[in-house]
Amino acid sequence: MKFIHVLRIFLITGVLALVGNYFGFDINPIEALPGMLILLAIVVAGYLLSKAVPIKLPTIAYISAIAIIVSIPGVPGASYVTQYVGNVRFLALATPVLAYAGISIAKDLSSFKQQGAKVVVIALLTFTGTFIASAVIAQVVLNLMGTI
Amino acid sequence: MSDKKSDWKIHLIALIFVIIAESIGIRSYRLGPGNVLLLPMLYALVMGMILGGVSQKYKLPIITREDMDKASPYIGLSVMFLIAKVGTTIGPNIARVVAAGPALLLQELGNFGTILFAVPVAVLVLKVGRETIGAAFSISREGSLAIVADLYGLDSSEGKGVMGAYITGTLFGAIYNGLMVGFLVALGFFHPYALAMASGTGSASMMAAALGPIVAAYPEMATELTAFAGTSQILTSVTGLYMSLFVAIPFTEWLYKRLGGKDRTDADGLLPSAVMAAAEGGKQ
Repeated sequence: MKFIHVLRIFLITGVLALVGNYFGFDINPIEALPGMLILLAIVVAGYLLSKAVPIKLPTIAYISAIAIIVSIPGVPGASYVTQYVGNVRFLALATPVLAYAGISIAKDLSSFKQQGAKVVVIALLTFTGTFIASAVIAQVVLNLMGTI
Repeated sequence: MSDKKSDWKIHLIALIFVIIAESIGIRSYRLGPGNVLLLPMLYALVMGMILGGVSQKYKLPIITREDMDKASPYIGLSVMFLIAKVGTTIGPNIARVVAAGPALLLQELGNFGTILFAVPVAVLVLKVGRETIGAAFSISREGSLAIVADLYGLDSSEGKGVMGAYITGTLFGAIYNGLMVGFLVALGFFHPYALAMASGTGSASMMAAALGPIVAAYPEMATELTAFAGTSQILTSVTGLYMSLFVAIPFTEWLYKRLGGKDRTDADGLLPSAVMAAAEGGKQ
């Protein structure tokens, strides 16, 4: 995809999230706009960086690195980032993602039927196993360190 | 021009889904010992599945096959905002995250739990062949597809396994994680920090679904919990590929053989070993 198309999708996603943020959390889009623009800037910067840097890392690795750095207390502007992005709710950003997933999913539904129920069971076991094992390890280590 | 038009239709449908889903809002229901938390993102997913399924079945031009293909990359692009948002919650909490460092790093080894839960059941109970390798070494997100495609090919038994698990995750991963974690929260055995760290499993939508019930139960800890989940997610996204290649897949292969898993099979049944040996030789 050309960058201009990607940018267009970013802008549309931003609008969807602002609308969801209003309907779901009663936050006026004008009030949430600065935070959304900050997020957009981070996303675009991370996206461009991942294309420009020769080291092959997933785009999300760059985006998260930038987002972390610009919000560390003491970094110039970090308090504004935290304050404004706070007006854009996490769940409001998640809904558009799954709206697109829902739209694209029916095509996988038919090939999914051929796979049979056994693979479904295995997949659900992997979700369960990874979550519970991670939670047990985290719980034990946090306990040993006296954090909790 | 018709291209652009049908693209706008996708966004319009997404907008309608978002408005309906957010208007319904978060709903919490009691189910046995646990609360089931239904989130707007799940409504949006289900609405899309139903509308897409109905359109396909009755050949309605609401969501066409072409629309579905077009919407696919939008998932990956829209998820970047979620990643950015999560990142901005890590920065302010960086000190706390660093303090929790060992716990966050070590719980990345939870990947072994994935394999230990899934492989024995697949081999001993379900009697699944080498599809097990593809389906059970990870939670089968996009990265896993790429790795299996590279190592075994997506049309191999292993490839069919990872594809099936990938589709399962795409369809039900968020719902399943939301329900499972809601249940674990209600059990009260785990500290919310541990649950939040476990939420970062490498899939943004699954992380969101897992984190939802934890944050809803402990709203006063929302920023720390989001930061832990986000950091865990980033650790997983950074380590996941190497973990899969050098640890998870070899361990899955070893455990599969150890449990007496069938040698190479095809969807139609066992292939003569000579044929497979030849195929193996040909590959190398």
